[in-house]
Amino acid sequence: MLEEVRQFINQHTELTDEEFQTIASIVHPVSFDKRIKVVDIGEVATTLYFVLKGISRRYFYRGKHEVITHLVRENGIMGSVISFLTGEPSKYVLETIEPVTALAVSKTDLEALFLSDKKWEKFGRRILTSFFLQIEYHNLDNIRFSTKERFINFMKQNPDLVLRVPQKYLASYLEIQPETFSRLKHLMVKEK
Amino acid sequence: MNKAFAVLDPIYLEYAQKYLGRFMPITRDELIDLLQYCEIRKFDKRTIIVKEGEVDNYLNLVVRGLVRKYLPVKKDEVILQLATEGHVVQSEISFLTRTPSMVVLETLEPTILVSLTYDKMEEALGKFPKGERLGRLILTGMFIKKDENRYNRLLKSTRERFYEYIEHHPHMLQRVSQKYLASYLQIKPETFSRLKALMAKRKK
Repeated sequence: MLEEVRQFINQHTELTDEEFQTIASIVHPVSFDKRIKVVDIGEVATTLYFVLKGISRRYFYRGKHEVITHLVRENGIMGSVISFLTGEPSKYVLETIEPVTALAVSKTDLEALFLSDKKWEKFGRRILTSFFLQIEYHNLDNIRFSTKERFINFMKQNPDLVLRVPQKYLASYLEIQPETFSRLKHLMVKEK
Repeated sequence: MNKAFAVLDPIYLEYAQKYLGRFMPITRDELIDLLQYCEIRKFDKRTIIVKEGEVDNYLNLVVRGLVRKYLPVKKDEVILQLATEGHVVQSEISFLTRTPSMVVLETLEPTILVSLTYDKMEEALGKFPKGERLGRLILTGMFIKKDENRYNRLLKSTRERFYEYIEHHPHMLQRVSQKYLASYLQIKPETFSRLKALMAKRKK
């Protein structure tokens, strides 16, 4: 299971075997059943998870309404990341959709790693850059594409999620009304 | 000290120290060391700093003036940021990935920027003792800010976003046209006028 972690890290930086051993020594396997709240609103998140199997969602409440901002599957990092970084209570719920197995790393261990050497600080910056880019691309895409374009792009890029995640969650994530989502889906099937 | 900085108003150093101080304590000497890597850039008002399709090579701190960042969308444009003194502005994706910019940066007032190129940034972060740490913490800060903006946009109503913005940035009504503020807040210009009229009424 460490091989997946290595592949993930290699996207950001090349590690020697020794450096990789350092990473391997601070992660430990965990698993969660489906529909488990891993982090609830008001809790301070102290762990990040590298997902080996399964899907989770992150959402907050607008009134009684759940607003989904993240869907994380295999080879992604799941966590209430902002709470983890700031040490403030989470504004989000992190909840599994499918059962999840993951490798966990604690904030204490990660901070110690960063402080131990400049190269780990740089590694941290690379990972944070990827988080940053992800949210910024999402923001810009939301502005420059129409609802229909966003829907089609998402379906093309994430055919697996369409099968694994309930439609109402996908609609929320894409900021599309559930009815519009259904209509677009029918249209797409028809066009095929 | 770099000559360009010797002639600078000390307020510019204050802005830089305040910005970096949000991430880690930084002494005046450390700041001056870091500023050796930077350059001062001056622009007239209404100057395009980064064009669509151009790779943005700079991280900029505004020390005087006002820069708007916008995303051209079909025949329209949506303003993403209105950066004033003390704010950092750049085409982030372009800068970080070295790819053509989707967004445009334009000054609205005569503007002075303290700017760092991508290569100089990497060099400074590598050489400066706490540089890599500073780099990580700045990225952390940028990321948290983006997430917060998205959270607020999804959570809050148009009216709430309008009132919060005007309350926190009262001077912007004088500095920027209403049409730009409306675009930035992603509010229709008519709605903006209506909310502004409502607010004026309430004050009386």
